[in-house]
Amino acid sequence: MATKGSGLQAKVSRMLSKDFGKPILKPNKPLALRNEVANRKLRQGEASCLTEMSVMMACWKQSEFNHAACTQEVQAFQRCTALAQAERKARMGQESSGQGGRLHPKQANTLLKRHPNLYREI
Amino acid sequence: VLPVRWTRYNPYYLEPEPSREVYRIPVTELTDEQKAAQELKAVRPIKATPSGLTSSVFSDPTVSKFVNMMMEDGDKVLARSIITQTFESMKRKQVEKYHKAPATEKEGIECNPYTIFHQALENCKPIIGLISIQKGGKYYQVPTPLTDSRRRFLAMKWLITECRDNKHRRTHMYEKLSQELLAAFMNEGNVIKRKHDMHKMAEANRAFAHYRWW
Repeated sequence: MATKGSGLQAKVSRMLSKDFGKPILKPNKPLALRNEVANRKLRQGEASCLTEMSVMMACWKQSEFNHAACTQEVQAFQRCTALAQAERKARMGQESSGQGGRLHPKQANTLLKRHPNLYREI
Repeated sequence: VLPVRWTRYNPYYLEPEPSREVYRIPVTELTDEQKAAQELKAVRPIKATPSGLTSSVFSDPTVSKFVNMMMEDGDKVLARSIITQTFESMKRKQVEKYHKAPATEKEGIECNPYTIFHQALENCKPIIGLISIQKGGKYYQVPTPLTDSRRRFLAMKWLITECRDNKHRRTHMYEKLSQELLAAFMNEGNVIKRKHDMHKMAEANRAFAHYRWW
């Protein structure tokens, strides 16, 4: 394993050096791992309770915004929103605890900050 | 701990319990959660009660919230006195109506100012709200469901701003408030109109409902 690593370093330094004609690599960032992980974007959700909303709005249009005539639809919409909010809360609580066997990017970043990769001589 | 801007209670502290019914339940009839809560109270410290919180039968959390929203420069005494004057004037108007009405209609007239206040607030609460969402460089007004606290806040805010701005300047605040509350109780008036306008805008923009991602 140690021999494999040293062979790679020799190859990389050969590609960077100007002694053997033009350098093959011209990196603008250091060729080493950074001490942080990219923040994974949360998966795109869709709007909740759209059907209930559209049903309620159709009822409103029919009865010209007479709210007394639409109590059933309004109650259904409110029930739906309450459910959606409870679901969202449960999902938020669950996400901060575990990411399906993987570490959350924020947690990974805190760990890496504590034990960083040293690629510069200090 | 006084409520200074940057101070915060340690999350360890528990909320105070003002209602007497909780303490009157005999020990045998407590549920498991209540027993656990009682045991926790013996070990954990409790936050100081805010001055607006009472255990009296006359205290109403909605009225307290309304008083706080009307308060300016921390003058709670003035805000509270305005509200009491409002309730008094509402009661006077309703009792006058009651005595002038024929016997058949007497039962339909509501005299309790607290029920009128609660019903008027319910009538003013919007069911659906609008949120500004940016998509493709433009801002769209997207219809979205609202939480109960947000709806209550909007209803109270509309009432207060409407009374402050759109009335004759020489009428007292309690007079303006009582007129607006009685109108809202009957589902008339400017606040109800504003609620309907909000609903109509939401209905007009229902095509943009898909721009929401929650």
